[in-house]
Amino acid sequence: MSSLAPPALGQASSRAGGGSVIRVEDLGKTYGGQVEAVKGVSFEVAAGEIFGFLGPNGAGKTTTVSMLTTLLRPTRGRATVAGLDVATQAARVRREIGLVFQDSTADGELTGRENLTLAGGLFGMTPAECRGPIEMLLSRMDLADAGDRRVKGYSGGMKRRLELAVAMVHTPKILFLDEPTIGLDPQGRAGFWRYIQELRREQQVTIFMTTHYLDEVENLCDRIAIIDHGRIIATGTNDALKENVGGDVVELRVPDRARDLTEPLRSVPGVREVLREANLYTVKCARAEGLVSSLVMACDGAGVTPEGITVRRPSIDRVFLELTGKAYREEGYDDGRAAQASAFGGRRGAKN
Amino acid sequence: MLVELFALLKREYLRWVRAPMWIVAGLMTPILYLLLFGQAFNLGALVGSSPQGEAALRAALWGAPDYFSYFAVGMVGMVAVTSALFAGTGVIFDKQLGIMQRTIATPVRRSTIFSSILLFRGFLVVLPIFIVLGLALAFAHVPGLVGLTVTQGVGALGVGAVILAVFILAIAFTSLFLAFGFLFSRVESYFGVVNLLNLPLLFTSNALYPVGTEPGWLQNITAYNPISLAVDVMREVFFGSSYYPHPVYVYLLGLFAWAAGLVALALFLAARALRTK
Repeated sequence: MSSLAPPALGQASSRAGGGSVIRVEDLGKTYGGQVEAVKGVSFEVAAGEIFGFLGPNGAGKTTTVSMLTTLLRPTRGRATVAGLDVATQAARVRREIGLVFQDSTADGELTGRENLTLAGGLFGMTPAECRGPIEMLLSRMDLADAGDRRVKGYSGGMKRRLELAVAMVHTPKILFLDEPTIGLDPQGRAGFWRYIQELRREQQVTIFMTTHYLDEVENLCDRIAIIDHGRIIATGTNDALKENVGGDVVELRVPDRARDLTEPLRSVPGVREVLREANLYTVKCARAEGLVSSLVMACDGAGVTPEGITVRRPSIDRVFLELTGKAYREEGYDDGRAAQASAFGGRRGAKN
Repeated sequence: MLVELFALLKREYLRWVRAPMWIVAGLMTPILYLLLFGQAFNLGALVGSSPQGEAALRAALWGAPDYFSYFAVGMVGMVAVTSALFAGTGVIFDKQLGIMQRTIATPVRRSTIFSSILLFRGFLVVLPIFIVLGLALAFAHVPGLVGLTVTQGVGALGVGAVILAVFILAIAFTSLFLAFGFLFSRVESYFGVVNLLNLPLLFTSNALYPVGTEPGWLQNITAYNPISLAVDVMREVFFGSSYYPHPVYVYLLGLFAWAAGLVALALFLAARALRTK
């Protein structure tokens, strides 16, 4: 996993007190009466939250987002967005939401300002009514100087920022982002999320996002839902999901022909589980702090000196691995590398 | 609703004025036809200038005093088809680029999206038609050039009939090709079908040559071709009703029926393409 870390947010946002702005009950979609892409999902998103929607390709992410944004009609269950039913009040839902798609949808032949004026116009705003919000958004997105240039000359990062501005012209209550940072370089991604956070701070907008990048989920999202094979398999805060998976993990590597340490390690107070794979022991515990020295002493007591110790908190991909039994595949990784990154690539790991 | 319509029209307009080749090429084709083909192909010279010859020629040309006058009005039909050929391309590109998706994710009404495209693309058809008509009429006053010679007084009613015919014809063909834009998601399929339609539409019309020499079955088809109907309206206004079996309004009504049918087809396919699935 990349070491890119968007600026961390205060988790468990205190803004999340306004009740649910998205309510999803048993929502499902079957295409053509045959392919059941989403098999009845239920979750809620609180006002002011950044809600992360995770899942491998084909899990039903985009289908779910499309139903919530009125672009697809549900075949089962119901969903309300800003208190409005997505199936029966679609036109009113559209007024309350802003969308950032995977690909740029701005018209390259038009300038940034013209694209924004068009976007406002589609929400019934006259060019004069748009001007204020547009200038504010352009300067927020650092596009003020580029505003009168045609979008086809923009860089990838500028196009993404413009896309965000286009989605915000009508000051929506809820912003839907579908894999918004795909194709951006690390600076571009970090920058994009900084803009998102500023927008959220200033405009109190609720954000529903899907992404492939697990570090984004870990650092940005207040809460997460993981979807696989059309079903939600976990919902909760980052920390709650990690707790569920078993808290911290300590890995001890011992010399090749050392005697078995499973029992001595298991007897250390605080240890939940010990797994052995050849000369590598995986010790699961609620918190690793303060436990490492006891584990080393237990090894010493058995006459074995560990060669290496790794301590890590589970990453979201670890959570995903535990819950689904397979590694979360990131774009750009082949399966083998993704699995390896998941199993051994704890970001907070510190080899001694 | 007008704000939304204006916003969509402005986008179409900006895209158009920023593609100079589109404009130049679109206007050059009819002008070249008038300047080269129309000037070169002089049927009258073949017949000679005897009084009997002239009368026979006028009868064969449905009242037009010379081939250019006959052909220049027919050019209106040809320009309508060739300009409308591209009407559906914008829709296909917008679908491919996700711009259509973004547009239908806003509260703007589907009928407003459709109207904006029909209006602007219709304008792109009407514009060259009036340029062709204006040029052809002007040529009649330029020494050394053949022009469209109007042989009878054209009153306000006549002018109104011509303008109406042009607008209805433009709407009919714009709708036809727009329908295929909504139907297909690839430009290749679109132009495949459009090319298939293009020439039969022209060749079964009276735009380019007098229909008197055609076999009867073809004459029957030609009489109902929308291009023929529009052209008949204009020729009857310019060259006198004695050469035509029906009054102007009959041709206008026929043309209107075509337009209504084609608009309905385009609306149906647009509604299908823009609907939430």
